[in-house]
Amino acid sequence: MTNKRPPVTKTAKADTSKQAPTAPVPAASTPTQAPAPLPAAPEGFFNVFVDGELLHVKKGSTVMQACTQAQKEIPHFCYHERLSIAGNCRMCLVEIEGMPKPIASCHWPIAEGMKIKTDSPLTINARKGTMELLLINHPLDCPICDQGGECTLQDLSVGYGSDRSAFHEFKRAVDDKDIGSKIKTVMTRCIHCTRCIRFATEIAGVEEMGATFRGENMQVGTYVEQAIQSELSGNMIDLCPVGALTSKPYAYTARPWELVRTNSVDILDAVGTPITVDNRHGQVLRTQPQENNAINEEWMTDAARFSYDALNTNRLTAPMIRRGKELQTCSWPEAFSVTKTALENPTAAILGSMASAEDALSFKMFMDTVLTGSAYDCRPAGSHLDQFYTFNTPLVEFENVDAVLLVGCNPRLEAPLLNVRLRRAALKRRVQIGAIGADMDLTYPYQNLGNEPELLESFTRSKFADVLKNAQKPAIIVSASVMTRGDGAAILAQIEKIAKKVGVIKENWNGLNVLAATSGRITALDMQAKAGTPKSDTAAILKSFNNGKTQTLIVYGEDTILPEDIEGQGTLIYIGTHMTATAEKADVILPAAAWSEKSGLYANAEGRVQLAHAAVQPPLNAKEDWKIFRALSEDMGKTLPFNTLSQLRSLIAAKHPAYKAENWNKVTPRETRVAAADVEISARPFQPVVTDYYLRLEYLRQSPTMQKCQSEVAAATLGTTGTPPTPLAPTKAKTSKKAA
Amino acid sequence: MTTLPRLKPEDKCFPNLDGSGDWGIKGYQKRGGYKGLKELLKTPQMQHIEKLKASSLRGRGGAGFPTGMKWSFMPQPKLDEKGKLIPLAKPSYLVCNADEGEPGTCKDRDILRYDPHTLVEGMIVGCYTLNAKVGYIYVRGEYYDESSHLQQAINEAYEAGFLGKNILGTGVDVDIHVHLGAGAYICGEETALLESLEGKKGQPRLKPPFPAGFGLYGCPTTINNVETIAQVPPILKNPTEWFTRWGRPGNSGTKIFSISGSVNKPGNVEAPMSIPLRELIDEYCGGVIGGWDNLQAIIPGGSSTPMLNPEQASRVLMDFDALKAEGTGLGTAAIVVMDKSVDVLRVMTRIAGFYHHESCGQCTPCREGVGWVHRLMERLSQGDGTIDELDQLFALTKKIEGRTICAFADGAMWPTQGTLKHFRHLFEERIKAKQSAA
Ligand SMILES: Cc1cc2nc3c(=O)[nH]c(=O)nc-3n(C[C@H](O)[C@H](O)[C@H](O)COP(=O)(O)O)c2cc1C
Ligand code: SF4
Ligand code: SF4
Ligand code: FES
Repeated sequence: MTNKRPPVTKTAKADTSKQAPTAPVPAASTPTQAPAPLPAAPEGFFNVFVDGELLHVKKGSTVMQACTQAQKEIPHFCYHERLSIAGNCRMCLVEIEGMPKPIASCHWPIAEGMKIKTDSPLTINARKGTMELLLINHPLDCPICDQGGECTLQDLSVGYGSDRSAFHEFKRAVDDKDIGSKIKTVMTRCIHCTRCIRFATEIAGVEEMGATFRGENMQVGTYVEQAIQSELSGNMIDLCPVGALTSKPYAYTARPWELVRTNSVDILDAVGTPITVDNRHGQVLRTQPQENNAINEEWMTDAARFSYDALNTNRLTAPMIRRGKELQTCSWPEAFSVTKTALENPTAAILGSMASAEDALSFKMFMDTVLTGSAYDCRPAGSHLDQFYTFNTPLVEFENVDAVLLVGCNPRLEAPLLNVRLRRAALKRRVQIGAIGADMDLTYPYQNLGNEPELLESFTRSKFADVLKNAQKPAIIVSASVMTRGDGAAILAQIEKIAKKVGVIKENWNGLNVLAATSGRITALDMQAKAGTPKSDTAAILKSFNNGKTQTLIVYGEDTILPEDIEGQGTLIYIGTHMTATAEKADVILPAAAWSEKSGLYANAEGRVQLAHAAVQPPLNAKEDWKIFRALSEDMGKTLPFNTLSQLRSLIAAKHPAYKAENWNKVTPRETRVAAADVEISARPFQPVVTDYYLRLEYLRQSPTMQKCQSEVAAATLGTTGTPPTPLAPTKAKTSKKAA
Repeated sequence: MTTLPRLKPEDKCFPNLDGSGDWGIKGYQKRGGYKGLKELLKTPQMQHIEKLKASSLRGRGGAGFPTGMKWSFMPQPKLDEKGKLIPLAKPSYLVCNADEGEPGTCKDRDILRYDPHTLVEGMIVGCYTLNAKVGYIYVRGEYYDESSHLQQAINEAYEAGFLGKNILGTGVDVDIHVHLGAGAYICGEETALLESLEGKKGQPRLKPPFPAGFGLYGCPTTINNVETIAQVPPILKNPTEWFTRWGRPGNSGTKIFSISGSVNKPGNVEAPMSIPLRELIDEYCGGVIGGWDNLQAIIPGGSSTPMLNPEQASRVLMDFDALKAEGTGLGTAAIVVMDKSVDVLRVMTRIAGFYHHESCGQCTPCREGVGWVHRLMERLSQGDGTIDELDQLFALTKKIEGRTICAFADGAMWPTQGTLKHFRHLFEERIKAKQSAA
């Protein structure tokens, strides 16, 4: 190739005069009229013709973007708007008047006066030629391919493929690669578009996918055959335009047209990714992301994508009571009568990390109305987060944030989609990111400032304080897990002091953020699902149950308490979805609905409330949570004041304005008062926040796929450099101290 | 027929191309090398570029792009209002393409082993002209011995003060690094070469952006062939006519032709541009084996260029425009002569096989199509197939040519198209013979 430049003409005038005689504007001029010179396009725009229609297209756009603007869809495989341009599939070729050959519209820049022809014979033939060549070595095994019905190659071959092949040679076959429990590969189907490679390298930040060999023998895969170590890898399944990469857990389970789709929200971290839940005959068969530029762009975490098998594993499907040594299923009335008796004794309750607003408020009202004066808490032991537990910086605002300090926070494992934004900031905008906390691999460079909490005391004099001071929009992200250290209140107070000193909190800007473990933790705090007296926190509740002062303990979906920490001889009532190790110790079990089985409102880290619709029914005898509390309250003679979900919703809206229907899906700032601390910062270094990404919640630990994924995590990967991942334990015994 | 006079040593850019003299710095200086280098490094850069434009030197790497124009695309530092130089935002690079992979081509090899200082001097002048402080020479991996000559020449130039900091007191700094490739033809494509040089898989980049704006490590870069760069110093040192007196307008100068195949005396010769092909073969190579009438076909410019038949060969001039008019190209000026004893179809099948092997595999038409073409050639050249498949093969080449990221696929299709044009009857004979035998 020579250094010929693209035919960019300097001025609109010069170009139109050149083109006018040979190519009259078809739409604007009749054959008898002399073609009028084209008026100049507005500042920053070019005049571009798409199939004769004149458009003003922003300078710097590609031909494909111009066509999109003209609502002419250009078939393509390799192009993806969130990835770099590869231009290798050659499906998007279009004819440009005056150019000898068709050009790849996905990368070719527009120029003044350009005439694009999206349906000329040359364009159509180019597409047909590319399609024929794409198909000659393709196995054409659509009947046994999981992509069938939602495959770009299938769709486009309807338009541009031929019904017979001229190819009489042997077809290429490629060995499948074992790249872990999440992704199934059928590499013979690969069309080498490199989307997966670009995603892994550019977005996920793991340079593990690549192409080996060349020419016909080019193969896409991990260089060394091993499980791909990314908590975002499932997105490659969505990106792969063919059936080369498909979901392993979903393999051969359904055809897309058999599935019923429901809109929902990912509640396994605090980002609040909007998702869809696909079910067939009441069984959830897959979960996929929806697109929302303000939240998840179009990505989804692997934990959210692949853990749905937990919904069908080890579920509590009927109430149970302990008879002698054994837990036995029983009827709801039987379970309620045992419960009622137990609740006559001094009782306390703990709420877990996956509560919807409906769950949290009905729980709170039950505690306040029926068990008036009892202690209950929705925070993990040690945490005293009260008024301030969310982000002040909306997630999209991280596209503008220009300095970041992380405290005890590993965004890659706590909120992988937030990490995508931080990675972009660090790499594309060279934003400086500093971290106080355990060493980690964030997939981008950051300054490790050390992991001693004392660093906070002298922080304002440190170099990194200047970085924050010099920034326009600096941000601090504190992991809520820090609060469980015991000195969390002091740390938070100190960070707030720093924030005010270094300009993280200033006029018109508040960059101080607390990253909760899940949306449920935020939602429960929004509903104030805690008794609120100092002696009623989770740690105190456990202590008083263990020393017998409290005789009945309700554990409602809580998953950060080790079962061995519950030593009391009193009655243990478990309300939840799975037969966890804690549930096994219980005397009464009331089976509740999982997130996919109930309609629920959840607030994400930025305070955005979203509605997750119920996709399926709770299994067998399990009930939606609010119905359990409502029924039990009636049974106990103090009926809660709601009969329907909508009645409960109006109570929720009254409790917190963000939950009013008109405020759903909007970022609603929370009050951000930081409580004064009554403790001192301890010298204990910060610990890694998450050591087992795939098993960080009890719900995830119930998923066989997540168990497999965790076992594939080799030592010294996944951001726990220096700390080997927790060895895999069987589901039941598996417990871990996790953060709110 | 009047023949052109043979070039005298002082007319040549590569007087030691036959390797008869000393390839070291002493021999080179005896032949006039490095003389006048200091003046060249003091002349304003734009003056050099204008002179290159006037010389109408065209790239020797295959595409024949005017070198002066290519060099003018590189950013030149501007003066601010006080007349002070505003330094360029990014460093510039000159990269020499010594990947010489085109089958039939072996000219760069003789430059590297017999006259490496011509290239070194060219790199010095080129880097200066393009404001590059660093130049890279990407040598194909198989040229190990040749690259060691080159490295020795570079070392000698450093010792003599022609390379390094403040060359000959002119204030010009130039460093040259030699990099050995790993044996992929595609790494000769300029942007694949840059990728390879950056340590990545050698795959051509999308253009635009072009290397002059976004090249090596994202910085302005010019890539030129060995011969192109080595011809720059003599062009700049001599009056313009010294170069332009040879060849036709727009095709001036002298050129190395690599002649191989059915000739009596194959080899590299430096001859005037626009020399008639027949004269080149008869006068410089001892003629076609068995005489001109024994000629079957000639590949004029490396394996990518379509063949000429004897009639075309007997009248064509060896330059860019004349060969283009014949539907082929000067390419690398690697002439492969085939007499009547040669099975052309087998040769062309082998060439199709070469491209099948060398495609980088990045883009669909080339990755999938080049192998298909090769397989069809294999089959059809044996007569296995149908007459219809000949048309199908031609149509297939048209689905690949002009639809890809780089020019590789074009170069891979042209020879097959040329074969179908000139030797379709051979295919048909063989197919019919097979069919009647069956
Ligand atoms: C597939 C392919 C292979 C090439 N191989 C070479 C090569 O081996 N050597 C070379 O000088 N140019 C080669 N070129 C041409 C280069 O891309 C480029 O045009 C050339 O180096 C420019 O130098 P020039 O302007 O001096 O000719 C190749 C081009 C293509 C498309
Ligand atoms: S596996 Fe899928 S996404 Fe990756 S290169 Fe192949 S076709 Fe493209
Ligand atoms: S044309 Fe062939 S060699 Fe060139 S980029 Fe495409 S696949 Fe690679
Ligand atoms: S979409 Fe343009 S080449 Fe693939």
